[in-house]
Amino acid sequence: MSAQPAAPAASEQPVPYRATKLPDVKLLMWVFLASDTMFFGSLIGTYLAYKDRSLVGPLPVDVFDIPLTTVSTFVLLMSSFLMVLSLHAIRQNDIPKFRLWTAGVAFFGSIFLGFQVYEFVHFVNAGLSIHQNLFGTTFFILTGTHGVHVTVGVIWLVALIMDSYLRPLGAKDSVYVEIAGLYWHFVDIVWIVIFTVVYLVEFV
Amino acid sequence: MANQKHSSVATYIIVALILAVITYIEFAIVEYPQEWLGRNWTLFWLVALSVVKFIMVIMFFMHLKDDDRTYTGFFSSGMFISMATFVALTAMFILPRSVASTRPDNVVAGAASHEVPQDVLDLVETSGLSRSPAAQADSPRPADRSVQITPPLAGNDASSYEVTVPGGAPAQASGEAGASGDATAAAAAGSDQTPNEEQASEQAAGGTTAEAPAATAASWDAEAGASVYTANCVACHQGNGQGIPGAFPPLADHATAVYEAGGREFLMDVVLFGMQGQIQVNGMAYNGLMPAWGHLSDADVANVLNHIVTAWDGPPAGFAPYQADEVAAQRGLGLSAAEVHAMRADLGL
Repeated sequence: MSAQPAAPAASEQPVPYRATKLPDVKLLMWVFLASDTMFFGSLIGTYLAYKDRSLVGPLPVDVFDIPLTTVSTFVLLMSSFLMVLSLHAIRQNDIPKFRLWTAGVAFFGSIFLGFQVYEFVHFVNAGLSIHQNLFGTTFFILTGTHGVHVTVGVIWLVALIMDSYLRPLGAKDSVYVEIAGLYWHFVDIVWIVIFTVVYLVEFV
Repeated sequence: MANQKHSSVATYIIVALILAVITYIEFAIVEYPQEWLGRNWTLFWLVALSVVKFIMVIMFFMHLKDDDRTYTGFFSSGMFISMATFVALTAMFILPRSVASTRPDNVVAGAASHEVPQDVLDLVETSGLSRSPAAQADSPRPADRSVQITPPLAGNDASSYEVTVPGGAPAQASGEAGASGDATAAAAAGSDQTPNEEQASEQAAGGTTAEAPAATAASWDAEAGASVYTANCVACHQGNGQGIPGAFPPLADHATAVYEAGGREFLMDVVLFGMQGQIQVNGMAYNGLMPAWGHLSDADVANVLNHIVTAWDGPPAGFAPYQADEVAAQRGLGLSAAEVHAMRADLGL
C-alpha cells in the first residue's frame, strides 16, 4: 500500500510508534474499566444521595431479602473463581477444561441474572416500580445497569466457547480470554460494592 | 507474556475461599446483629470487609499484583475520579441535610439558649419580653426592643422585607404604614381575635406568660423561612409554590386561605405530623401523602410556616407569625397523618 518506488531505505522508515509493549486489547480493556468505574461511581453516589428521601414506600427495608441476595452474591463470586480457572486452562492449552470452566462462569452468571429477575419481579409486585419513588428509580437504574453488564458478560463468554469450536484456540489467544475475564471480575467487584452499600447497610 | 509470573491454581482456591468466608461474615453481621459492636463499628466493618474483597479480586483474579503497573495506573485514575465524583455528590446532597439541622440559626427553640449572648438574655429577662431570645439575637441591634419588619406591599421577594429600627436611621421611608398594619395584626392574633391594640400592648408589657403569639412583635425571619422551604419543600411544592397539579397540591393561592379559614394550628399539624387522605385544592383532587417533617427544629417549622403563608399571597388577615415555642407545644399533640386529614375536614376545606 505504502510501497513506493522512491521510498527511502528500509532502515530509515519511521518505526510505528508504540509507547508500551503491552497488548493493545488488554490496555484498552483496562481503560474501559477505568471509565466504567466512574460510571458506576456516579450511579452508586446518586443512589446514596437520594437514599432515605423517598416520600412513599416501599422502602428498602420492606423489600430487600438479605439471605437471597447473599446467595446471589456468592454465586457471582464463585463465577469469578471459575473465570481464573478458565484463563489458567487456556494458558495450558487445555481446551476441554477451558470450555468447562467458561461454561461454568456463564452458567453462574445466568443464575445471578435469574436471581435478579426474580428480585425485580418481586419488587414490582410489592409496589416498587421505577416510577414509585426515589428509591425505586435509583435502585433499578443502578442494579439494572449492573445486570446489563452481567448479561453482556454472559454473551461474551458464550461467544468465546463457540469460538473454540470454530477455530483452534490455544495459549496464543489467552489474552482474549483474559480481557473477558477482566470484564467479568470488574462486574463482580461492582457487585461487591453494591451488596454492601445498597443492601447490607440498610439493615445496620 | 509467557514468562510473566502468574498466580497458581492453589492461590486462586485460597482467594476464593477467603472471599466466600468474608461474604458469609458480612451476611452474619447483618443477619445476627452484634449489639456490642455498635452501629458505627458495624458499618465500618462491613465497608472494610468489602474493601478487602474488592482488593483481593483486583490483585489476584485480575492479576494487578503481578501485572504491568500501567494497568494499575489506568484503573487507579478511574477509581480516583470515581471517588472524587462520589465525594462531590455527598457534599452536595448529604452534608447539607445533616449540617442544616445543626446550624446555629436553626437551633432556636428555648433549649439552645447557649447560642445567645448573655447580655441579650439579661435584656430579655429584665424587660419582660417573651420574644424568643434568638429572635432578639437576629435583630441588628439587640438592645432595641421595638424592631419592626415591614412586609412589602406586593410581591413575594423575601429579600424586600425592610427592617426599621426606631431611633436608628430609618432603613426605608415606607415603614410607617406597614408598621401600623403589623400592630393590628399582632393584636388580632389574640385569643379572642378582636383587633384591640390596647389589649395587645397590655399583654406585651405584662407578659412573661406563655401567650406568645399576641405578645410578640409581628415579625418573622423571612430569609430563614425561605431557606428551610428551599431545602425541604421545593421538590414537591415547587419554588413558586404552585406544586404539581394532580400530584402535589399548591401552597400559593391556598396556604394563606387555609390560615384565614382558621387553620393556624392545622398548618402546624400538617408540617409536624404529615397528612394522608384525599383533599381538594382549588378544584383539583390530591390523594398523596404529605410526609411528617417533625425532624425539623421548632424554629425551622415556624419559619417555614411564616414563609408559606406570606410569600405568595401576602400575610393573611390577622396574621401573627408562628413562633418556635408555639410549634414546640403543638408538637406535643403527637397526631397521626390521618387525624390531621380529619382536622382539615373540620375546617370545612
